[in-house]
Amino acid sequence: MIKVIFFGLFFTLLLYSPFVGTAALNLSELLDPASLSHRIFVELRLPRVLLGFMAGASLGLAGLLFQNIFRNVLMTPYTLGVSSGAVLGAGIAIKLGLGTLFLGFGAVTLFGFVGAATTVLLLVWLSRYLKRAEHESLLLLGIALSFFYTAALMMIFFVSSFIESHMLMRFTMGSLSVIGYKEPLIITASTLFLLAGMWIYRYELQLLALSDEQARLKGVNTEKVTLILLLISSVAIAALVSLTGPIGFVGLVVPHIIRLIYKRDVSKLILPTFLFGGLFLVACDTVARSVEFGSEVPIGVVTSLIGGPFFIYLIIKGR
Amino acid sequence: MIKLTNISCGYENRPILKNVSFSLAKHTHLTIFGLNGSGKSTLAKAICGLIDYKGSITINGEELRTLSHRERARRISYIPAKIELFEQYNTLEEFVLLGRYPHKASFQNYTEQDHHIAREALKTMKIDSLAARSLHTLSSGQQQMALIAQALTQKSEIIIFDEPTANLDPANSLAFALQLVSLREKGISTILITHDLHLGHHMKAPVLFVDNGTVEYFADPTLFFSDDSLQHRYAVTFSHRALGVVYD
Repeated sequence: MIKVIFFGLFFTLLLYSPFVGTAALNLSELLDPASLSHRIFVELRLPRVLLGFMAGASLGLAGLLFQNIFRNVLMTPYTLGVSSGAVLGAGIAIKLGLGTLFLGFGAVTLFGFVGAATTVLLLVWLSRYLKRAEHESLLLLGIALSFFYTAALMMIFFVSSFIESHMLMRFTMGSLSVIGYKEPLIITASTLFLLAGMWIYRYELQLLALSDEQARLKGVNTEKVTLILLLISSVAIAALVSLTGPIGFVGLVVPHIIRLIYKRDVSKLILPTFLFGGLFLVACDTVARSVEFGSEVPIGVVTSLIGGPFFIYLIIKGR
Repeated sequence: MIKLTNISCGYENRPILKNVSFSLAKHTHLTIFGLNGSGKSTLAKAICGLIDYKGSITINGEELRTLSHRERARRISYIPAKIELFEQYNTLEEFVLLGRYPHKASFQNYTEQDHHIAREALKTMKIDSLAARSLHTLSSGQQQMALIAQALTQKSEIIIFDEPTANLDPANSLAFALQLVSLREKGISTILITHDLHLGHHMKAPVLFVDNGTVEYFADPTLFFSDDSLQHRYAVTFSHRALGVVYD
């Protein structure tokens, strides 16, 4: 019953979401293809809701994956510095003034993708030097990487012009602003790819979540499975962060709430996390667009305002 | 048959086992004794492929290293002395069902037969009434029984028990001892690592004593359980009337 009310509430917000925004829609004109309201609704609002949903689903799934593979609830692509890697990549592209398009993508997106993907590969490579039981050290490695990236970004800020700094600042805040369906559909594809990967490997994940030893004793090739799942998630997260900028803490909050509601093992949480991740981010975005601050509040700011205190709560709770 | 030849292994630069060799015929039992830190669990972990080793371990003539992870799990199961699990929300039945993983085809669901085998194992260990409970709500003794049920579900040729009675009350220890004998009768080779001399004595099977990473004794139990032998190996005096579960 709680699940029905919970999901019902968020689903209502999902339906309400495309009608919220700075520009008021004239509902009577919505069905008229020539009207401005129709164009705003179809070309701006609906793609944004789709992007928000898929972005939230990706972040939630990646959080669930990282937490179970590394058996630590604080592990997410965001806390491990993957998002910071994307920001640095984007920062370099902005500073270099690269506007060249490659296969229809801006340099900022491509560099962001490279930054995020490199960070995941770096973490996978560094984790080989850790003892099996020392996954906490991986978190420290992620934090160290984040510090390094932030310092490098500060250097870029320092030598940047006012306009470059402003562009960079907006990117670091995260945004779901989008025109048309190209970006939302790419993120939909990468999210479904991640969902399929986790679903296919759900029994391996179930064993990995118990302990590395349990998984290996039951015949799971833990190194191989971990690497495959991390690579799939790194593609999804790198694609996402390079398009939207960092959106913090969704990967931390969503799996935790789902675990609390369902009280089931990871193999049964994959679909609920996908669904709730999407609904949660759309809800946050709806809030961000409803608050009047002259312009909308950046989505990354909203999620971090919710997620930051939650992160502290998790640490204090000791899990 | 399992055969170990010149097994040496350890952790990082700390060697634990030095040139351990022994073999165990099919359908037999071996009890491994040894002082704390002598290398008993390390030996079990090497056999299960949890740690790298030098030397050779073969099962029915097949070198263990050449087997896939699943093939190895179909031949050997290991019940560690203690478990620390991150995942809290598996029910007992779901947890025991995971023993069927090495028998399941890749990317396939568990079959109805797998579920049936898991439920039978729960009944055998007399914990079927707890089937729907989450693992974290069980006591350490009940978790121990769950691990044993999971190993039974795995249906491997060899089962290694690492101090299985450490968390069990006397009644469950006795039930476990009966289970151990019945496993042997079913044709499963069992290796028991324990400090429980009564239990080892009850098994009436070969004894291996590990001392400082080497095999110090590997022979018939009669000689091992003599007063002089025990006093020599454990450096304490034993009383035959000491409190403990009487398995016989």
